Amino acid sequence: MNTHKKHGFWHRFFFSLDHKDIGFQYMLTIFLMVSIGGFFAYVFRMHLAYPDMKVPLFGLVTNKDYNMLITNHGLIMMMWLALGMLLAVVGNFLIPIMIGTDDMAFPKLNKISYWFFLISVILMIASFFMPKGGLGGGWTLYPPLSVGDFGYNTPYQGFASRFFTANTFVLLAIVFEFTSLLMGGINFFVTTLNKRAKGMSLLKMPIVVWMINIASVLFMFSVGPLVAGTFMLLLDINVGTGFYDAYRGGDPLLWEHLFWFFGHPEVYVILLPPLGILAEIISTNSRKPLFGYRFIINMTLLAGVLSMMVWAHHQFVAGINPKAATVFSILTIIISLPFAGIILAYIATLWYGKIRFTLPMKWALGAVALFTLLGGFTGLHLGASVFDIYAHDTSFVVAHFHYTLFPTVIFGTYAAMYFWFNKFTGRHLNKTLGNIHFWLTFIFFNGFAFPLFLLGLAGQHRRIADYRQFEFLMQDPLPLYRQIATISAVILILTQFIFIFNFFWSLKKGKKVESNNPWEANTLEWQTSSPPPHGNFAVYPVVYHGPYEYNMPERDKDFTPQNEA
Amino acid sequence: MRIFPENASSYGAEIDFIFWLITTVVAVGSVIVIFLILYPLFTRNKQRSPEQRYLKGQGFKQMKLIYLGIVILAIADFSFLLKEGPTWTKIEETLPKDDLHIAVIGRQWLWEFVYPGPDGKLYTADDVKKINQLYIPVNAVVHMDIQSYDVIHSVFIPNARFKQDALPGRSIKRWVKMTKTGTYPLTCAEICGIGHANMKANITVQSQEDFQKTLAKLYKK
Amino acid sequence: MNTTISKKLTWRDIPQARLAVWALIAGEFAIFGGLIVMYILNRMKYETWGEMAQHTNVIAGTINTFVLLTSSYFVVKAHEAAVHRNKEKIKMWIWLTILCALIFLGIKTYEYSHEIMHGFTLPGKHLLAEGKNVETMYWSFYYTMTGLHGLHVIGGALALFFVMRGVTKTGENYHRVEAAGLYWHMVDIIWIFLFPLIYLIH
Repeated sequence: MNTHKKHGFWHRFFFSLDHKDIGFQYMLTIFLMVSIGGFFAYVFRMHLAYPDMKVPLFGLVTNKDYNMLITNHGLIMMMWLALGMLLAVVGNFLIPIMIGTDDMAFPKLNKISYWFFLISVILMIASFFMPKGGLGGGWTLYPPLSVGDFGYNTPYQGFASRFFTANTFVLLAIVFEFTSLLMGGINFFVTTLNKRAKGMSLLKMPIVVWMINIASVLFMFSVGPLVAGTFMLLLDINVGTGFYDAYRGGDPLLWEHLFWFFGHPEVYVILLPPLGILAEIISTNSRKPLFGYRFIINMTLLAGVLSMMVWAHHQFVAGINPKAATVFSILTIIISLPFAGIILAYIATLWYGKIRFTLPMKWALGAVALFTLLGGFTGLHLGASVFDIYAHDTSFVVAHFHYTLFPTVIFGTYAAMYFWFNKFTGRHLNKTLGNIHFWLTFIFFNGFAFPLFLLGLAGQHRRIADYRQFEFLMQDPLPLYRQIATISAVILILTQFIFIFNFFWSLKKGKKVESNNPWEANTLEWQTSSPPPHGNFAVYPVVYHGPYEYNMPERDKDFTPQNEA
Repeated sequence: MRIFPENASSYGAEIDFIFWLITTVVAVGSVIVIFLILYPLFTRNKQRSPEQRYLKGQGFKQMKLIYLGIVILAIADFSFLLKEGPTWTKIEETLPKDDLHIAVIGRQWLWEFVYPGPDGKLYTADDVKKINQLYIPVNAVVHMDIQSYDVIHSVFIPNARFKQDALPGRSIKRWVKMTKTGTYPLTCAEICGIGHANMKANITVQSQEDFQKTLAKLYKK
Repeated sequence: MNTTISKKLTWRDIPQARLAVWALIAGEFAIFGGLIVMYILNRMKYETWGEMAQHTNVIAGTINTFVLLTSSYFVVKAHEAAVHRNKEKIKMWIWLTILCALIFLGIKTYEYSHEIMHGFTLPGKHLLAEGKNVETMYWSFYYTMTGLHGLHVIGGALALFFVMRGVTKTGENYHRVEAAGLYWHMVDIIWIFLFPLIYLIH
């Protein structure tokens, strides 16, 4: 029931408590962040392929610039894009409406979460303008490098000289962002448990709601030690404690453990929501129930638990006890098994279905293929500790994580966009532009990432601003691989402008939807108007069965909305 | 087309083998997965009107196939672990008797190689330091105490398939045995500041007699 | 029309606010748990770690422990009063709780100033100059853990204050007293773990 008077865009932007508006705010803010992160990638890749060139829109890239670009590219993409888009945006848009309720359990807390997120973005961007420049040293922030040149013997020049540094601002930005996500996680969890529509038991929820919640809980448990560790790093920088300083009784390896204890579960936090999105899209576009709903949930829970036991596979050569490394290697290889189960379940959903090769389906299948074949499988290479001795900190790792992250985070986000855009805006995204966008992205993503495997196997180490002084890395065809990767990356980045244009143009001028449910899907959001009203439903639905009843024998329609008896 | 740089160390071939083992198995798996995804996609228009299997009851055959897939992957996984375990133990947990014991110390932004000097003992007053150029004899076990003065560095010798992070405040002892003479790159594989890209050293593997000559020249000063 | 949804819908009869605070508490346990694990591992690794604990004021710590336990009792009474919708009693019990928080913070401040005067500081420059690296680490952890805990005491006290004001002014939302009280119990429990680890261990 909509009793609000029409507010201006900015008033709504800053003060609306509606979860859909808040989701949209997060999305716009993240679009800004990803533009910066993508721009940085463009600059440093141009520098890698053409080292002496003045990169258009940036200029000459020095070693310091290069370190700053790669560090902040990683930070922005992992922390703000991935976590923000897949938890905050997807969770905010989908959870209340898919469980058939009006809004989150705590709308004001939701609003505050966004404010904290915005503050984190401002702090992060401010870090680029600090007196000593933006942060370098890798997104993993390993001390002592991340503590800055404030070594044992550097005279202390006052608190301001330590506080107004990119090191401090980036860490504060991360603290604010984590707080925002923790608050959001509490909101999602309580909303999911408490505000489901009548008749919607937990096992009748769409699986994406399960995935977002498991991801939020996994986030919460894994981030705790890192929050403590971040405070400790801030103290090291600003006060001169020595938590990570070997000369002061501390240990740099401590940070590595704290960071990766979070960092590994984090990639599963990022992975789970897209897996959920893919499940919804694959099921709807195969006109078949999702195969193995409970099986998938069990496998996800197993993977979540295992994910907290594998973190030191990032530290095989870091100086940890080799016997411990063997344990982590075994667990890492084992974690491939639940994910294999999930992917096989998705494939089983496809078989004997009546597949509709729509745009969201293209993204979904592309994601499954690339993630499994080139991302997941190369995880086996890296999980084998002995091969990791060679591959660690080479471009092989960069290729591996781009093949796991990009298909899930980016393809998954696009799949969600092309699927749900018409629901939340009442207009369709342009299909032709969408197809061009998909094929170009698919081709040029592979053009960028695959050569990186070959470069890594040839021994190319990471985070190097200029490969020219290493003759073994200048032998053909390695420079050619770097150029192919760069040119593909640049075209890949340019291709995304097609989407940006499509998105904003279709918001105002896209073809209006003729039906509330163009995909003929079962879940509750499709049973209300496009866009949904404030409060989501004119009459709140009662749920009679699960979300995957497609092509049920006793029905004549090939789909059965959840609120249809 | 060569994928790896030339292997010049005693355990390099084992590491390369693990890679090829995993890659072969994974390639076969990939072909299967691609088929499983593309087949229903390409035959979608010929689908008979699907009688669907729903959440409870049917689908048992597919479930068995899924479990079969998981079991096959598990077997492959364990074969990888069984093959790589002994090699890992050999490289990381055992120390064959050393023919040469040196210290490798990273600092921003160069490598220091410390020889034990005429008394044959490291960490004594007559140690000799060389910057960015290391000489070792061929077919000899070299123990390296890997250290760092300031931030985290990493000793990476691609041709030896050797890598070990150098942490401040710790000395980590690892071994390598090079099997071919020649000069090979030694790079830093952990970002250590703005000079990270400039940290480049060479490791020259010489025959026993050439090495004795080099050592004599080194110790003469 | 929101007829099929009530704001008080509960999952397994747990009120919404309580569920949210439990989720918050789980997250806080992860944070403090990480610090405590690090502390314990350090304690196990270094023999001289525990020696610095002798310089903590065990009497002050013990008094603080009783103060917090008493405050938890007060908060339980406040909850009881909330169940009976007794605004006056709520005000009294919560003010007593806040008083306990202030006493706790006061004693902590006294301890800190005493320790700092003796050279046991967060960066530990004096100890470092004597080459006492491990001991310096002890104090770094001491200030970080008790400091973070102290911030939570302040936060909890503020939360209780605002809840009390809201309830007495509007006469609604009595369930918030329980929620804030639950958070306060968490703050107390964390101290129960910190006290023996930091003060008594040597």
